[in-house]
Amino acid sequence: MASRSIDELCEELKKKNASAIAGGGEKAVAKQKEKGKGTARERIAQLLDPGSFVEIDELVTHRCTNFGLEKTKPLGDGVVTGWGTIDGRKVFVFSQDFTVLGGSLGEKHADKIAKVQDLSLEMGCPMIGINDSGGARIQEAVDSLNGYGKIFFRNTIASGVVPQISVIMGPTAGGAVYSPALTDFIFMVDKTSVMHITGPAVIKAVTGEEVTSEALGGAKTHNEKSGNAHFIAKTEAECFDQVRAVLSYLPSNNLDDAPVVESSDSPDRAELSLREVVPTDPNKSYDVHNVLKKVLDDGVFTEVQPGWARNILTGYGRVGGRPIGIIANQAQFMAGCLDIDASDKASRFIRHCDAFNLPIVTFVDVPGYLPGVTQEYGGIIRHGAKMLYAYSEATTPLVTVILRKAYGGAYLAMSSKALGADMVLAWPQAEIAVMGAEGAANIVFKKEIDASSDPAKTRLEKIDEYRHAFATPYVAAERGFVDRVIFPEDTRKEIWLALVGIESKRVSRPARKHGVIPH
Amino acid sequence: MPGKVLDVKVAVGAAVKAGDLVLMLEAMKMENEIFATSSGTVKEVRVRSGDAVNTGDVMIVIG
Repeated sequence: MASRSIDELCEELKKKNASAIAGGGEKAVAKQKEKGKGTARERIAQLLDPGSFVEIDELVTHRCTNFGLEKTKPLGDGVVTGWGTIDGRKVFVFSQDFTVLGGSLGEKHADKIAKVQDLSLEMGCPMIGINDSGGARIQEAVDSLNGYGKIFFRNTIASGVVPQISVIMGPTAGGAVYSPALTDFIFMVDKTSVMHITGPAVIKAVTGEEVTSEALGGAKTHNEKSGNAHFIAKTEAECFDQVRAVLSYLPSNNLDDAPVVESSDSPDRAELSLREVVPTDPNKSYDVHNVLKKVLDDGVFTEVQPGWARNILTGYGRVGGRPIGIIANQAQFMAGCLDIDASDKASRFIRHCDAFNLPIVTFVDVPGYLPGVTQEYGGIIRHGAKMLYAYSEATTPLVTVILRKAYGGAYLAMSSKALGADMVLAWPQAEIAVMGAEGAANIVFKKEIDASSDPAKTRLEKIDEYRHAFATPYVAAERGFVDRVIFPEDTRKEIWLALVGIESKRVSRPARKHGVIPH
Repeated sequence: MPGKVLDVKVAVGAAVKAGDLVLMLEAMKMENEIFATSSGTVKEVRVRSGDAVNTGDVMIVIG
């Protein structure tokens, strides 16, 4: 047999490439578009810097011979993988192709994902997964399940080493939801993303509950109710903008420095208006976003999980071009108290920032842990303990700004000196105490109040006395629990000076396999 | 969040916009401002100042 010419051989390769790129064919692609969804390759192109994508494993196929699957062997096996850049920095990516076998995950599909996961870890670059899949490929049975296991294992090993981001752009059910859950953040698109362990049909059969797929596991549900997701976008394009914004604050891995940007916003900028933002009356509420806006570079606060546990804010910002993680009690919502969800939300973000060495700046105005039977039965003790654990464990620079209230156990939980905060700043109206003046005066001066001819008057006097003596930053400052009492207008400069002063922080801890964090 | 109604700022029939202040609720010793979540007309006011309320209670119906 005569050898084929090089042109013929190249023609063959061309055909294969075209077949891979065609995905599930025109009809399936049209159906995908009808739902407002992009194709796997379009999504990668939208996410990455133009022309930067390098694909691998384009010609991989499954090797299943069950149930007639041997007759359909699409090239690529339903997932597109490779690497490219975002803002010029390398990232690894996989994007499931719903038009090919429903994006279902079989052995080789999983192997492709595992391969880019391994590469992302070895190269020390972020891993971004775009999920759009019908779930396990039933025909491949236990090979498919094993595939999920390989992905979970790699997610776990890479956790805290490289940033891992999950983008949900279609259905994810059963085992498929656990890989996203193991990553740093889950991004969802309103109306087209769904995540659940078991779907509406199974739920109806087992528990009798009737629920729509959207209500059960839609983007709103996970961003506002369950706390499983961290970002919601109206469109796929907006979702990718959010992903790029988050990555702009993060180093490529836990040994790299986070990217510092040029900032035209002077770190010395004073903001006299900060004196007006937080009412000195501890019973008055306000929006702590207004503090962050005045303190951060150009007023930009990139909020993480804005829709869930709104009594505490988590997110990123910059001061003098340096990225920081931010935790802030939100007085406007549930008085900014710590409850189960707020503790979960904040402690995980603290650990994320610590893993990637982002300094954490904590803004404190907290009345306490939320009292109540629901909270106690729900395990506020162990959930609340995560806050203590996360801050104590953190070796990243910690700056604390006490804006107003810092009472009791919640004071300790919010990045207190005792838990390892490097620089604790306090505003003049800060009240650092075991509890609010009213409660404390009732206990401390009980005898005097009871013995008084006018108990109501004496009570008010004693509350005032207590407030002046103890509800201040000065008792804590005398002990050194507060490093500096500052003018509100200087907050930005003070944070900047603190960050510069403590950026070289090096702390070593006793060797151990890992701690046993309360869950 | 469990708390005590301090002041109801709207009456039945009032037109409200999403984000309008409709009620003050004292909880965790804070005067919490409760804002309308959607625009419409106040159909029902189910609480009076001084009432104790719990998580999940409906206080004002806007339709």
